[in-house]
Amino acid sequence: MADLNALLIQLFAGLSRGMVLFLLSAGLSLIFGVMNILNFAHATFWLLAGYITVTIYAYLADTFAPGFLLLVPAVLGATAIMVALGLLIERVLIRRMYDRELPEQLLLTFALVLILGDVIKLIWGVQNRRIFVPVTPMQAFGVFINPYYFFLIGAGFAVAIGLWLFLHRTKYGRIVRAAVYNREMVNALGIRIPMIYAGVFAAGVGIAAFAGGIFSPLLPMALGNDIDIIVQCFAVVVIGGFGSILGTFVASLLVGIVYSFSILIWPDGALAMIFLIVIAVLIWRPWGLFGTELRS
Amino acid sequence: MGSVRHGTALLTKGTNVSIDSAPVIQKTTPRSVVARTFGKWGLSGAATAIVFVGFVLVPLVPGQFWIYVATEILILGLLAMSFNMLYGYMGQISFGHAAYFGLGAYGAGLLMRFFRPGGGEIGYLDFFLSLLAGPPVAAIGALVISVFVVRLTGIYFAILTLAFGELLYYIVFSWYSFTKGDDGVQGLLPPPFFQDAVNYYYFTLAVVLISALLMWRILESPFGYTLRTLRDNQRRAAFLGINVRLHMSVNFVIAGTFAGISGALWGPFQRSIAPGLLGWQESGVAVFMALIGGSKIFIGPMVGSAIYTFLHAFVTIYTVYWPLTIGLVIMAIVLFAPGGVLGLFQSWFDRMTKKNDATADRSAQTRQDENTL
Repeated sequence: MADLNALLIQLFAGLSRGMVLFLLSAGLSLIFGVMNILNFAHATFWLLAGYITVTIYAYLADTFAPGFLLLVPAVLGATAIMVALGLLIERVLIRRMYDRELPEQLLLTFALVLILGDVIKLIWGVQNRRIFVPVTPMQAFGVFINPYYFFLIGAGFAVAIGLWLFLHRTKYGRIVRAAVYNREMVNALGIRIPMIYAGVFAAGVGIAAFAGGIFSPLLPMALGNDIDIIVQCFAVVVIGGFGSILGTFVASLLVGIVYSFSILIWPDGALAMIFLIVIAVLIWRPWGLFGTELRS
Repeated sequence: MGSVRHGTALLTKGTNVSIDSAPVIQKTTPRSVVARTFGKWGLSGAATAIVFVGFVLVPLVPGQFWIYVATEILILGLLAMSFNMLYGYMGQISFGHAAYFGLGAYGAGLLMRFFRPGGGEIGYLDFFLSLLAGPPVAAIGALVISVFVVRLTGIYFAILTLAFGELLYYIVFSWYSFTKGDDGVQGLLPPPFFQDAVNYYYFTLAVVLISALLMWRILESPFGYTLRTLRDNQRRAAFLGINVRLHMSVNFVIAGTFAGISGALWGPFQRSIAPGLLGWQESGVAVFMALIGGSKIFIGPMVGSAIYTFLHAFVTIYTVYWPLTIGLVIMAIVLFAPGGVLGLFQSWFDRMTKKNDATADRSAQTRQDENTL
């Protein structure tokens, strides 16, 4: 039997991986639901934010003593920069794609993946970047675990709850949900749809950037990570069902944990396991575990 | 919701496949020359003829390098054209089409290694038998997978084909004892005659030409027009009594088989194959090519392959920032030439072949009516 401690550590790794997937997929799913745009470049924004966080952190760590608290300005700074960039990209590029066919939208956002990937290569080079935050492992459930895992999992839950409350309990959240179901009617009620679009896109990019920032101490930022992750995010969104925050959350944890444990059993085929789940879901329930049939 | 908008967008766009207009021309102007020369064939025929003549003449260019590039253009162009049977004609985007390319490559490559276990030059009979083995392997793979994917459309079709493609990739990647996994299959040396780059190029040209003719025959048949109906309005097609899933499935298998033909040609060309041939990046290349060239025109993906492959060969001489370059090209195409390069020519060509405005408008109207189905 496998070492129980190893399994437990793998579980935490899987949960935190699931949190990255959730933070990315939530934005992806929201943008698709509201704007009908499947954003291939979503994980590239996440990666770019990670690199920016590392750079801000390195700059701050030169001035002050390196430490956990320096992460806060680094993550917030990176998120702010990415929200601004997201708004710019929505205004300049994405806006032109609303009435286009799906493949053209995918192609444009995939072009962004290629361009931003090379921009990262131009600025940061090809070495992997990560932040070394000095933390002491803590003992929990009889094993030593990096306490940062708990912070990440907590942050993931916080964003999930915050997002749900925003969508269900605030005026703007209700407008966004209404736009998912009937954007013409929302428009007819005098709400400016372009503003909603820009806001949703920037918010999605912001959440992705936040995820990139808080994960930079854990995952090294490397070129190509974005493509690895975006494919899994598509898997998550399909498994959970487009437009369902709860579904996205459950599917993220499922995919994160399955991936994490598959690495123990079949390292090369960890992604294959995820694709098997996707195939099973698409055949059995094409609208996803938590989606509604209406939206398929 | 997505599918509805998708459908209407396709409807208004209609098909741009050229129909003969054969105007009567009196004066000799640049416009009339174009019209007289190519008007009868339509843009599709004209482009096909130009592309074909271009390919025949390629070996006149000095240097082996460009012959390799041209061979690659042909093979990947056939892959892109087979992808376009699904996208341009049936209206579904597959992100796993390279899986059948890879299956064809592995079917042929592994049989070559079976005939010549250590790798190296093989006999003519073994060579042709191996090549013939590629397409059926791809067809069987496509047949099994088509059962599942034709139940879905739009984004779900795209993601399911992607998932199956990646699954096949991981099977080939992990099944080391049979496929040599990540190492790939090396030493796929064709018989002496085909080791010469020009000979292999002309052989590839012949195979691709025959495949393209078959593809044209299929797409211009009632079956092909049924596919266009499925693209434009699947629900109406179902009301007309068309068995939607059966037609999609048959087309999926045919497209997979043509991808398998191009895959079989790849191994002896590169002397090796690797699991990456099945991966979604390779599928993405086929998608790029179809959209760059123009997915609404039969020969468009081949033109796209020429542009993409040539650009790749050219740009990588000077810089490592190939993704940036192709990213900007794709962005420019999507924003400013949504019909692809041939789509741009199409609008220019339509202007050139108009006789005068009154009759042109009428013929354009009839053409629209004919094409909207």
